[in-house]
Parts: sequence; C-alpha cells; structure tokens
Amino acid sequence: MIEKEDPVISEEEAAQYDRQIRLWGLDAQKRLRGSRVLLAGLGGLGAEVAKNLILAGVKGLTLLDHEQVSEDSCRAQFLAPVTAQGQNRAKASLERAQNLNPMVEVHADSDSVEEKPDDFFLQFDAVCLTGCSRDLMVRVDQLCSQHNIKVFCGDVYGYYGYMFCNLGKEHNYVEEKPKVVKPSKDSDDGPEGKKAKVDPTETTMVKKMASFCSLKEALEVDWTSEKARAGLKRTPVDYFLLQGTFTERRSTQELLLLRWS
Amino acid sequence: MGAIRKGGELVDSLSSSKVLVVGAGGIGCELLKNLVLTGFKNIEVIDLDTIDVSNLNRQFLFQKKHVGKSKAQVAKESALQFCPSANIVAYHDSIMNPDYNVEFFRKFMLVMNALDNRAARNHVNRMCLAADIPLIESGTAGYLGQVTVIKKGMTECYECQPKPAQKTFPGCTIRNTPSEPIHCIVWAKYLFNQLFGEEDADQEVSPDTADPEAAWNPEETATRATASEKDGDIKRISTKEWARSTGYDPVKLFNKLFKDDIMYLLTMDKLWKKRKAPTPLDWQQLENSETAGSGLKDQQVLGLWGYCELFQHSVETLRSQLQEKGEGAELVWDKDDPPAMDFVTAAANLRMHIFSMKMKSRFDVKSMAGNIIPAIATTNAVIAGLIVLEGLKILSGELESCRTIFLNKCPNLRKKLLVPCVLDPPSANCYVCASKPEVTVKVNVHKTMVLSLQDRILKERFGMVAPDVQIEDGKGTILISSEEGETEDNNSKFLSDFGIRNGSRLQADDFLQDYTLLINILHTEELERDVEFEVVGEAPDKAPPPQTNQEEVNSITNGNKDSAQPSTSSKAPEEDDDIMIVDSDEEEGVSSSSAAAVSSTTKRKHSDAETGETSTKRPRMEQSSAAASPNDDDDDDIIALD
Repeated sequence: MIEKEDPVISEEEAAQYDRQIRLWGLDAQKRLRGSRVLLAGLGGLGAEVAKNLILAGVKGLTLLDHEQVSEDSCRAQFLAPVTAQGQNRAKASLERAQNLNPMVEVHADSDSVEEKPDDFFLQFDAVCLTGCSRDLMVRVDQLCSQHNIKVFCGDVYGYYGYMFCNLGKEHNYVEEKPKVVKPSKDSDDGPEGKKAKVDPTETTMVKKMASFCSLKEALEVDWTSEKARAGLKRTPVDYFLLQGTFTERRSTQELLLLRWS
Repeated sequence: MGAIRKGGELVDSLSSSKVLVVGAGGIGCELLKNLVLTGFKNIEVIDLDTIDVSNLNRQFLFQKKHVGKSKAQVAKESALQFCPSANIVAYHDSIMNPDYNVEFFRKFMLVMNALDNRAARNHVNRMCLAADIPLIESGTAGYLGQVTVIKKGMTECYECQPKPAQKTFPGCTIRNTPSEPIHCIVWAKYLFNQLFGEEDADQEVSPDTADPEAAWNPEETATRATASEKDGDIKRISTKEWARSTGYDPVKLFNKLFKDDIMYLLTMDKLWKKRKAPTPLDWQQLENSETAGSGLKDQQVLGLWGYCELFQHSVETLRSQLQEKGEGAELVWDKDDPPAMDFVTAAANLRMHIFSMKMKSRFDVKSMAGNIIPAIATTNAVIAGLIVLEGLKILSGELESCRTIFLNKCPNLRKKLLVPCVLDPPSANCYVCASKPEVTVKVNVHKTMVLSLQDRILKERFGMVAPDVQIEDGKGTILISSEEGETEDNNSKFLSDFGIRNGSRLQADDFLQDYTLLINILHTEELERDVEFEVVGEAPDKAPPPQTNQEEVNSITNGNKDSAQPSTSSKAPEEDDDIMIVDSDEEEGVSSSSAAAVSSTTKRKHSDAETGETSTKRPRMEQSSAAASPNDDDDDDIIALD
C-alpha cells in the first residue's frame, strides 16, 4: 500500500532529513515518504502527533476533527492561532501544520470521525485516533487490521495518558544489529597484532515478525484467569483507570481490588 | 507518579517565575513550546548559533526561510505566536560570555539546559552552583535521552562523576598502522590542516619513525626517538611548505602521500610481521579505471579512481580558496564546506584502500569526520516534557521527588521505556562542588609550558573559561592572569622556570564561575608517549574507567583548537552531545552510529556539528541509593538495576 513510486530522494530532502536518515536509514525514510496517515483529533495530543509526523516527512497527513477551537484549546495546542476561536480545529491548525514541512501534503477535514464510512479509512497506511470513543476505536481497529493498516490510539487525562497500537497479526520488520566479529583462528595473533579488523561500525539487518492483539482483546482481558492474575501486579494502574472512562462492563473498583488483592 | 497538585499556588508561581533556557536547538524548541503552553510567563533563552537546513527535521520553531538567522531570536518569535502574552527575552550569544555572571543567573528561579556540548554544561553547572539556583540538565542522542536535576548541596553536580574523556588515538596508529576507517578519517583531517589549515605538531601525517613497535630492539627505539626529535620526524620542512613548493600539485601530493610514504612504511618491516601490509597506489596506473555508484550521490561508494579524481578536484578547489584569502591564509575544516568534506572523503578512502579496508560513502565519512549525532523530533519532545515535569516539582518545593530519568530505546524487563532513578547526593571529592576542591596532577615540570597548563589542563580538562593562577610559594607569584596580555610572556616558559617542582601547589581561580581549584603538582619523567599530564587523586570508587587517561592520546582536533573560548559570533564550538545510556538487559547496546562518535574541539561555521559520547550508566546506578525492591509498586517505579 505504501507508494514507492519515487525511489530517489531529492537533494533537498536529503539535506533536511539528514539527521534522521542517519538514525533510521534511507530505506525507512523512503517508506515514510510514501505513507499516507490519518490523524483524528486535534487537541493537545493531536497537535503533538501532527507535528511529529509532519517533521518526519510522511507523504500525506489528514487532520480530522469536527470540534471547534475553544479557549482551552489555545492553551493546549500550538497549531491553532489564539485568534481562531470558534473555527473548526482541523482547519484552524492547517496553516501552521503545513508550514512545519512544505514537502508533506496536509489536509484538513471538519467531519466527525464517527460519521466516516469504512472505506474512508482504507485510503490510509496508518490511522491515529486521539480522544476518540471506545466504540469507534474498536470499530476502526478491527477494520484496519483486516486491511493491513496500522492503528495507533491514545488519549491524555491530566498527568495520565495511554497509547495503544495494533500493527497486525503478522507485522514484519527488520532490526539493525552490529556485525559480529568472529575471533581470529590465526596462531600469529599476538598481543601486538592489530590485524585489519572487520569494521566495528558495520551492521546487518535481521528480519523479524511480531504479532499484535486487537484493541477489543486488549480491553476485554479476563482478569480472573490464572494467566492474567499473574501479570496483574505488573500492569499499570492507568490501564484500569481508563477502563472506567470507557465502559461499565466491569467497574474500575472491582478491577483495582482484583489488582491489589 | 508523584502527587503534584497544580493548584492556584503553582499557577501563580508559574506566571511570576523567571526561567532560563540555555540552548534553542532540538531540546530547546520543544522546551520553549512546553513552557509557554504550561503557563510560564517570563522566559529567557540564549543560543549562539544560527539555523541550518539540517535542523529543520526537528527544531520545529524554525522554517526554511529562517536558515541563517539567530536560533534564539527566531525561537522567541515563533513561541510568541502560541502565546502572545508571554514575556520572552532572546540572546544571540554564548552563555560563557562574562556578561552572564552570577548576578545574571540569580535572576532566575530555574535554569534548564538544552545544550549539546560539555564545555558549556560544565560552565552552567558552575554558575548555577555559584548562584545556588536549581539546574535541570538533559541530553539526547537518536532514540535515547535523559533528564536530571542538579541542586547545590542536595544532589551531585554535573561534574561530580568523572565523565569519560573524548576518545583519542595514539599517533602511531594514525600515522603508521591504521586498522579502522576512523583512523584514516582522523588522518585525513590532520592532512587537511597540515596542507590548508593551522599546522599542529600533534597532527602529524608522515610516517612515524619513532614508533616503538617498529624497532627490533629497545635501543633502536631510543635512537630513533632522539633522531626524529632532532630531525623533525623525517621531514625537514613542513608539509605545508613542501606542498607549496609543488604548487599544491594534486598528482605530486597523491604520489607522496599514497605511494612514497607508504613505501617508506613498508621498510619498517617489523610493523608488518603480524599485520597485513599496506599497498601503495600509483596515479598513472589507476588513471581512468571505474568510478561506479548509483542512488543518492552522497551515499555512493565510488571506485578507487573516483576517489583519486575527488582528491584532485578538492585539492584544486581548496588551493584556490587558499590563494583567494591571500598571504599566510589558513582554512578551517568544516563538514558543511563541500570541498573540505570532499577532500577528507577522498583522502580517507584512498588510505582505507591502501590498508585493505572497505571504502565508505561520503555520507558515512561525514558522520564520523563531523561527529554527527543522529537526531529526531520525538526523542527531544519526550525529554522536553520530562524537563517541565521536573521543573514543576521544583517550583512546588518538592525537590525530594525529583529524579534522573532515562529514556531507552527498548522497554526493559519491566516493560518500561522511561526509567527513573533517585538522585545521588554530592560527591565529597568532587573537584567542582566540594567545599575546598583539590586535585593532583602529574606533569613533567621541565617540559610543560605555562600555556599548556592554561589551555590543556585548566580550560580543556578542568572546564575553566578565564583562569587566574598563582603559585603557593609564600610570595603569591602570579603565573597566569585572565586579563589579556598581562602574563603573555609566561606562556612559552616552562613550569620549572618558576620554581615549580614536585609538591608545588597552585591556586587556580575562575572568578566568573566563582570557582577555586587547588592543584598539587606531582613531577614525573615517566608519562606515556604523547601524554602531557595525568589527573590523580580521585577516590578509588570514583576512579575513571581505564580507557580514559592512560593509553589514548592524540585528541582528534579539527584545526582550530580554541573551543574552550567560544566566541559570540555565529561560529560555534564543536559539540559533543553528552548522554549516559542505560544498558537494559534486552538491548543490543549502543547503536553503532553513536559508538563511533568522536569529539573534536573547534569553531565551526554553522550549527549542528554534533558529536556524541556515550558511557554506560551502569556503574553509577550501582552506586545510587535506589532502594526500592524489584517488586515495589511504589508510584515512582524506582528500579534497582543490578
């Protein structure tokens, strides 16, 4: 799905992205360059995500938010001008977002994410949902993983916050590892021997695969089961707190009691 | 998470407190944004640098149209957009300028560093100690980052723990027996200076006849050593003079450096008994062979002839540059100056080929030669967030809840990416924050000049900016005065000329930093080759890791070594992004790019010459009083790492 139509990175991009190409490599940068991402929610969290994705150099970013800029949002986020009160948040954030990196196609959409049909989401390589309802997130998560679209959800509550990601049941990736220098079997290798070594900065790419669970599965863990109880103490309190903001299925108190028992 | 109430009191404190942000780069931009949005109303920001296009991937307060302008100034303007009512003062200046004295620092409730070099960090550390203002220190490199809090009397200061010295290589490795690409790159940078820049006796490129490894018996080494000292290391005229005499003819230069000198090395046969011998190159033979390469120009590895041509072209360009500048001109190496970078790329690769190493692309050479630290927006964003959280604790009067926090690349065994550690109390032997700091330094008093004491020891090693030194000889003889010109005549004299000998004590002051250091002199004739001094006298458990002082010597300099004195112009010193890394059990270790990083000390034209140093944090953690048991469910999640 990620377009690799333009395999050549321009000199301008090479100059601007130099410091990050040196970190994650040219291939990764090309993939970013070919990706279209959806970002729902342009509150404080959304603004940060927008900034980071735009600076990274994705192909396109769609800002989706039906809410209006309020006095609070002026304080919370830095993309909507202080004079934009009453305007749609996505549209108000567009100009500054675009200015962060003219090489990215930034769009603003003032619809509500809840009203969007399934095929709307299918045009993206990755979807980021901030400040969305549980039902919507579960729905989008299910839909996207069927189509190999990466899903990221998150929200903040004062000093607390969470992030969830679902990269699919079979997410393939590579990990960069330093090349292992085999010890020399040469008997001539005395203490002074400074043989021409294998370059210590050389690395090799190792292929790996990871499997992610769906959001539904993550939220519906049966904490009374043996396995779950074992991991209970290590699960952050925050997980249970946010259950309380989502659902009445199992009360927060019950879950916390389970954890502390 | 500690219970921090953002009640009315804290909010008031935010709007009235004055805070200082030192640096407006990667961390600085994110930090300014955070401070403004959090409600800080009085912010001062200082940065001596100007904006470069390579900053734009993360320093989001800057746009393409701002390239070349002052970082502090543009950062202020952009931040004001989010909150026009904030009061931001910007200084396009170096924090080491004496205008920013203890009184200046006392204006602030809090100082936050967003720096990328050790010299400035040392300096701000001392200023905050002198003014007794809390300091939040931080650093990032790639995916890694950390934040810590420094408060006089309560925590360790920035210099309590010895930091590993910048990695250096012995002269003979650079000149005779390189075994890694970095050795060849360092050699190429030395060559640049010898030909086009400021010649430096510590940056010799010709074969080292006094190499102890080359001698078949010990007497031979001694003879060679004295011979070379007398004859100036087989060359009787300087490299620059010789080059000038040939009119900087690229082919002649090529044949001397890559053929004749290599053939000379081959005659030192003992060196090649256990090593693969180098193979000299011949210009005529190589002419017009393959050049190769595809893809991003910078990332191509050319063929051998490609580098020959690159060598030729860059020499010709640099020659013209030199001519344009006129008589007695010198060029300063700059990784962002294309012919300078081309020259090092070509020369290093030719040498790598000679010594049977795989050649490297310009992109890779630039990383190593320019000490570039890879950087992204998100790491800085996380760290800047943590800085503000620590800042809020401080303003709430909750210093005990402050922590050192590490940001790792991979989650640890407890699935944590962010790892907090309790802050350590000050080190009793710290040569900066102890009540009467004292050190012992081993030198050869007959061979160490006063200038070396000032520049290498006091400024470079002990972080002073403007030292004043007097001898504790009962007469208070003044050895060095920070007033320009006053003690200039002393510079080339030796310490022994002033009666300094074994057991002498010197009092060194930096009045700006409000810092006095007592130095005990230990005379020795037995320093290692190329080592000028050794610092002794730190408590055993705080002894620096073995690789620092002893073997490695030649600091990898880059022409102008004046980095201890950053100017207020847009030229900025070479940076070294200082970060300590936790080795989590799951991590493979430091990424290769930061491991290869090497420091340089020089002025540079544009921003972003970043270097890195990393050290494993483990030893320090073991000392820390992180007392919580592994199963502790304490809010703060303190983990005792073993």
